[in-house]
Amino acid sequence: MTESDVTRRTVTVGLPNGLHMVPCSGIAKLAAKSASTVRIVGNNVTADAKSVLDLLQLKAECGAELIVEAEGEDAAAAVESIVRLFETNFDPDGDRPESASTDTALP
Amino acid sequence: MIVKRGIAVSHGVAIGPALVLGTESFQIPSRFVRVNAVESEIVRFRCALENVCREISTNEQLASQQIGEKYGAIFGAHLQLARDPKLIGEVESLIRTRHYSPEFAASQVLRRYAKELQNLGNHYFAERAADLFDLERSMLRHLLGEQREEVANLAEDVVVLAHDLTPSETATLDRKHVRGFVTEVGGSTSHTAILAGAFEIPAVVGVGHFLADVSGGDIVIIDGNHGEIVIAPDDETLERYRDSAERSRSLAQRLLSRGSRISKTKDRVRIEVFGNIEFPEEAEHCLERGADGIGLYRTEFLYLTTFSQRSEDDHYRAYRQVVETMGDRPVVIRTLDLGADKIPGAAVRAYKQRGNPELGLRSIRLSLDNLSLFKTQLRAVLRAATTGDVRVMFPMISSLMELRQAKMILRDVTEDLEDEGVDYRGDLPVGIMVEVPAVAMMAEEFAREVDFFSIGTNDLIQYTLAADRSDPAVAKYYNAADPAILRIVRRIVQAAVQADLPVTVCGQMSSDPKFVPLLVGMGLRQLSTTPLAIPEVKEVVRSLTIPQAEEILGRALEFELARDVEVFLRGELKKICPDLVE
Repeated sequence: MTESDVTRRTVTVGLPNGLHMVPCSGIAKLAAKSASTVRIVGNNVTADAKSVLDLLQLKAECGAELIVEAEGEDAAAAVESIVRLFETNFDPDGDRPESASTDTALP
Repeated sequence: MIVKRGIAVSHGVAIGPALVLGTESFQIPSRFVRVNAVESEIVRFRCALENVCREISTNEQLASQQIGEKYGAIFGAHLQLARDPKLIGEVESLIRTRHYSPEFAASQVLRRYAKELQNLGNHYFAERAADLFDLERSMLRHLLGEQREEVANLAEDVVVLAHDLTPSETATLDRKHVRGFVTEVGGSTSHTAILAGAFEIPAVVGVGHFLADVSGGDIVIIDGNHGEIVIAPDDETLERYRDSAERSRSLAQRLLSRGSRISKTKDRVRIEVFGNIEFPEEAEHCLERGADGIGLYRTEFLYLTTFSQRSEDDHYRAYRQVVETMGDRPVVIRTLDLGADKIPGAAVRAYKQRGNPELGLRSIRLSLDNLSLFKTQLRAVLRAATTGDVRVMFPMISSLMELRQAKMILRDVTEDLEDEGVDYRGDLPVGIMVEVPAVAMMAEEFAREVDFFSIGTNDLIQYTLAADRSDPAVAKYYNAADPAILRIVRRIVQAAVQADLPVTVCGQMSSDPKFVPLLVGMGLRQLSTTPLAIPEVKEVVRSLTIPQAEEILGRALEFELARDVEVFLRGELKKICPDLVE
């Protein structure tokens, strides 16, 4: 595996309550579909994107910058799909950031 | 090894594997598996995991349909968590390399992650630890499956750890195998404290968050003498505690051997020592320890085990058991001292929905508000009183009007029984718990209308010092040694002595040996304590003279701060009974 096989993108957490359980599980669900190794790096932590428990360790609060990286045959697609999650603020219905009030309704 | 501090509420030392009670309770039956069973245990773990996932998926669908997508997403997150490759990898590795049972391994791993979340320093993340505990519970439920251990049927001795012990949980506990209690909340007079006293096992309450540090099956030491718990102790600590447990057992044995003798002070003044009980079987324990009677028979237990109406015969049978056990010795039956939430039919007005339950509809107020409940109990008391020396006592009386109402109902019930031609005794002594400061202020007037006083120091302290005894945040304001408490108790005792009225102290204050000289000095000649404390209290009495007790009272009253009173009393006890002070 050479460096050229690794795809990287930088994302910013836009969720008012940070990257909590539900968004982490969203990421893990997508990553699990990929044949590649998917990692998210930030806060001096490298998390396996397929593990919710690992992702929680990122302690990513609102505004945090993270690097999404993947290594493997479908690396580009995996990164793209996860970046898309961040860009739509984990709201599958649209691309506008969800309001703080709806987010706090979710544990 | 982790050491945690809390409030010591029941003496002694207990050592044993932890049983952690949640909303659902499991005992992890064994922590290790045989080496040749490792592969089959891993298969068992995977099957259970599959079932957990299936169950969560069902919940996800239901929640999405019935409540909305957003709630469904929560279960979706749980599902992702249950399938977490790291989690599964770690559990399987513990089973493989350390031969942990799947139950123990899953519990260890999930609790470690929960703790990491709690330590993230972000409140929002920290609360997610609850999701991991939830997952742990469903994992254990599925793993244990048919062989799930009921709390009521423990296979081995355990120490019980919980956030709080609910009455229903404690009611179903298998008492034979419970060696001690630890709770995160609660104060020195909480339900757990009373129950531990009743079970005669060590207990520490108000420890704060610690359940995340324990897995079911971990060895835990409960030090009920110092209010400490040690989770997963090292060998040296374990050895030290085993020694100390042995020493206190032999002291208790020595005191017990002298227990049945009548307790007189060195200058030959008789001090009667009664027992406080909650369950009928405890009357036996009191007798074994040489109690002169039952000074406080709490009758709430009938309502703590089940939320249903109790018949007159349920009450009658329980009371008869105690009366028959005690023979000619006095048995003081206290009428219900419960909140409205515990009483079927009254629950609609449940006090817990109100802001200030301790000042709400409870105790005698509830009885007067719910006459059929009150009359049912009084009928049973009068019927049980045909032999022996039964006395009835009303709790939480706050005004003469209330007392007169209660006595009127008692007369009504007597007349009903007379009309029905039922066997009963109508002239039994009627007393009150003095536990509301208003009654202390009116003690002379009350003394004219009752046959005895029993000072309930637990509530009296709480109401006098305005400190909720069960709230850890203000527990430090609740102190039996407060100078105000010494004065209010002395005031009540003086009023009783002047009126030639029998008076006893039945709160936890009288079970604490250091207060015994002080109380005797005030003029008390009867004390009512937890059964376990009877031999100690008698030992103090036997080592004391009345002038000595009066002098201790006089000097204690000179202090201005609770702290100074406490230090002084402990010092005096050390001079009188060095054995009882560590």
